Amino acid sequence: MNPSASIAVREPTVSARRRGFSLKKTIVFGFFGILLVTQLYPLLWLLIYSLKTNEEILSGSFFAMPASVQWTNYSNALAGGRYWHYLLNSVIVTSATMVCVILLASLAAFAITRFRWKYGQLVMLIFLMGMMIPLQSTLLPLMLIFKNIHILNTRWAMILPYIAFQIPIAVFIMSGFLRTIPHEIEESAIMDGANVFRIFRSIILPVSVPPIMTVCILTFINVWNEYILAATFISKEALKTLPFGVYSFVSQYSVNYGAIGAFLVLGALPVILVYFLLAEKITKGMVAGAVKG
Amino acid sequence: MNVLKVSRWTIAAFVLPCLLLYVGLVFAPILVSFYNATLNWNGIGVAKHVGLDNFQRMFTHDSVFWPSVRRTFMLAGFSMLVQLPIALFVAILISRYVRKPNFLVSSYFMPVILSVAVIGQLWKTIYNPASQGGMINQILIKLGLGDWTHAWLSEPKVAIYAIIVIGLWQYLGYHILIQFTGIQNIPADIYEAAKIDGAEGLTADRYITLPMIVPIFKISVVLSFIGSLQSFDLIMVTTAGGPAHATDVLASHMYNISILSQKYGYGSAIACFLVVVCLVATVIINFLFNRLDRRYN
Amino acid sequence: MITTGKKVAGTAMAGFLAVSLAACGSSKDNNNGSDAAASPSASASTSASASASASAPASSDSGSKEKVTITFQNIYPDPTDPKYNMLRKIVKQYETDHPNVHIELDSLNTDQQKQKLKTQAASNEVPDITIVNPSAQMKPYVDAGLFAPLNEMVEQNGLKDTFQSGILDYYTFDGNLYALPDGNNIALMYYNKALFKQAGIDAPPTTFEDLVADVKKLKDKGIQPMTIGEKDTWTGSFLFMNMLLRTNGGPGFLQDIVDGKKTFEDPAFKGAVDSFETLVQAGAFQEGATSFDYNAGENLFKTGKAAMYFMGSWATGGIEVSDANKDGNVGVFKFPTIGGKGDPNEFMLAPGSAFAVSKNSKHLPETLDFLNYFMLNYPKEAFAAKGAVGVAQKVDGDFKAAGYSDMAMEVLAMFKDVKGGDISFDNTMNPATSQAHLSSIQNLFVAKKDAAAVAKEHQQAYEDNKE
Repeated sequence: MNPSASIAVREPTVSARRRGFSLKKTIVFGFFGILLVTQLYPLLWLLIYSLKTNEEILSGSFFAMPASVQWTNYSNALAGGRYWHYLLNSVIVTSATMVCVILLASLAAFAITRFRWKYGQLVMLIFLMGMMIPLQSTLLPLMLIFKNIHILNTRWAMILPYIAFQIPIAVFIMSGFLRTIPHEIEESAIMDGANVFRIFRSIILPVSVPPIMTVCILTFINVWNEYILAATFISKEALKTLPFGVYSFVSQYSVNYGAIGAFLVLGALPVILVYFLLAEKITKGMVAGAVKG
Repeated sequence: MNVLKVSRWTIAAFVLPCLLLYVGLVFAPILVSFYNATLNWNGIGVAKHVGLDNFQRMFTHDSVFWPSVRRTFMLAGFSMLVQLPIALFVAILISRYVRKPNFLVSSYFMPVILSVAVIGQLWKTIYNPASQGGMINQILIKLGLGDWTHAWLSEPKVAIYAIIVIGLWQYLGYHILIQFTGIQNIPADIYEAAKIDGAEGLTADRYITLPMIVPIFKISVVLSFIGSLQSFDLIMVTTAGGPAHATDVLASHMYNISILSQKYGYGSAIACFLVVVCLVATVIINFLFNRLDRRYN
Repeated sequence: MITTGKKVAGTAMAGFLAVSLAACGSSKDNNNGSDAAASPSASASTSASASASASAPASSDSGSKEKVTITFQNIYPDPTDPKYNMLRKIVKQYETDHPNVHIELDSLNTDQQKQKLKTQAASNEVPDITIVNPSAQMKPYVDAGLFAPLNEMVEQNGLKDTFQSGILDYYTFDGNLYALPDGNNIALMYYNKALFKQAGIDAPPTTFEDLVADVKKLKDKGIQPMTIGEKDTWTGSFLFMNMLLRTNGGPGFLQDIVDGKKTFEDPAFKGAVDSFETLVQAGAFQEGATSFDYNAGENLFKTGKAAMYFMGSWATGGIEVSDANKDGNVGVFKFPTIGGKGDPNEFMLAPGSAFAVSKNSKHLPETLDFLNYFMLNYPKEAFAAKGAVGVAQKVDGDFKAAGYSDMAMEVLAMFKDVKGGDISFDNTMNPATSQAHLSSIQNLFVAKKDAAAVAKEHQQAYEDNKE
């Protein structure tokens, strides 16, 4: 019943044979390098941005450094921006959403892709349709629903819709991966007398670590930065999340860009941390165990 | 063929919680939207039933509508035909040449994490007109190509392409991640077996990687298509659909109509159109990929 | 299999219930715990009934008055903005004087607040106090019966008399007053004296023709003549309307349209379009103006890169302390006449955003009482915080002694010259027509269009969207 063998991840084929200078390799790594710069520069830029004054930001040319480092942007963000308070709320909301999404979506994806069942494809289609729905068009109907079940201005008014909107993508990704797992796994397990739940828990879940991590990351990012829905359903200061802090520096006739920059850096740090942590797990998970037929 | 034969209760246990939550909070509002599309309503006061008038108006009297549809599809097209192949290519390269791929894949993902506000500001400094010190224009001038300078985000003909470039750049890492994870899922022994038969490198990719990545690639295609259709934040931050609707896409047009012009009923009609288009496209994509899948398996 | 399935379904349900109860509990705790400033209160907004009943016994107040929470939705979210502190100071004082009242502040940025209010209005969840813009922008809400009339409240404590004469009209419908403004501004031309001197301009222009000539002089010296943040389309519209105010020989053009006395194809309108295009074609505005938002546009002036800036007097605060105003380098002048028409003492008026009270507020008397207190103290606090230029109420005090800058004094002097004027297009016409107008004007920045065509566009939009 246990996986009989673990597969190695596809090892780089350009192995130790090719030591020393290789034109192909240089070109490839050069390409990687350029791409790296274009993708990472924004972070550096954001950091510099958060240390400038408003005037410097708005007149900003691409490479300009601040005349003097504006640490006040950070003190404004932390104090007036109520960073820690908003951070806590963001963490609570995002983790609750992540856990629920993974649970619900993997259960559903498993059922759709592995059960012998008439309506599997139909349900899949229903989930797919949901991916296209723009958030803004649901705000009003949702407000009516939430008002009537009395969860307005509570955490649930955020968590439930976040879960609901993440589910389609999560189910989609999970099913995509689950489809690539050979059926022989289950066959041998059934022959050993295991029931569905056992199969799900002990076999499928461990194997699905990569897509689960991918779903984790995507959910995290979507929920962490989400503002419109939260701002509509939450009015209590006690429940507000990080994006509120960012937008609080936008007044009627002026915008404190520096503080926003600082806040964004502070807000991006947890995301980057979580991302790098999970990314480790993805590759580790792959090595640890897919099952070979 | 799916193997597990289970009772209806089990199916319900697995599927229902998920389905119900989703249908209640995502689906139901859309049905409400479909209903709202038959109203002439400003969202606050009393509504008036107008049947299919909104749809008729949308298709025949709205000078912004069809161009915005065209632009939306342009965005989707570029995403699928330019961004995805590049992402796949990069993912294959990484899996082939890099021993510790983590750092690279994670770094490429960075722009996705950043909020649109940051990206908008950054690219504005890149696209600013020469007189404001925009990076691209300055480079062009230094290279002696002064004639090619533009006010990238303000000229109606050029602006949408400028924005498309930003979108392609931002989500490249997203798709690289997905494709890369897919490639990693392919068991290594297949490659070993192929090597024994004398096929490796590009040939191996053609006959092994590409076919096996089809389901994963499909994920990217669908996500990219839907993402493009819903693309809203980026447009709003850079040009707000301007100048004079030159960069309006379906989602921003819908926003302008519903929120700014306060024609909530009409805006719902546009939303319906968006949903229907997505649905049709998803079905088509699904169908095409299933054909592809069957051919290779 | 069957029994297992049922068992699991049952466990799952139980699990879900457990999680939800736990979450209910944690949000309850957060209600009481993290909101350190407030004592546990029966909240006016909806919350799970379980938590409401649990918090009542926990209240430790020995007073006999019922605990009241008032939700105050406002647009001063920026902690570095003086208005933010002003607001909180007044609120805190009131809470100290009335220990049974807690004011819950929902501070949002302007755009989000507008959207949120709309959504709340549609589901009848308007907060106790909210913000609206004058005239046409608040009319839909008034028509839907969402606001409480303030006629009586404004008579209490002489609040009505603190307001400048006539300003409350913009918030009155059918004889009922529905909102109290936080500001009143006029449109001016700010200019950079040093840059003018550089271009050889001795004095600010008094006619439009002089203005265009000055634009050319500045351009010849390589100086950016004017700046505008046209990504935010209202800026261009504001300028255009000032021109219309002149070519029409006086205010009331849009009102004449609404009354059916004129159409957009009137020569006054076409004249304004022509003038506007003349200015644009003369190269007055910066390249790529339509991708500059309000702040970016204003910044060009504040960093001394543009010579002139047309804007409402609210910009005074920011410009005062900017680089451009070092050594009193920035002055103001009135918008010139066009073709000899129009009176420079007629300005574009910008009555500010205003506080309205929800008709269905659960604590209407307390809310009205609070708002009365708030508005009474507003001018005093604004004066102290140096933000009294552009307040809608009469402010007593020696501005010079209080440290207001020379430029602020100049602007205040302008206020005294006001003989009348128009309010913006989007505060006069319904939203759909306004959007068409805003788009049309924005288009003039990128393409030259025949005045007759623009007029026709406007007329068409007006008729299409007539209610």
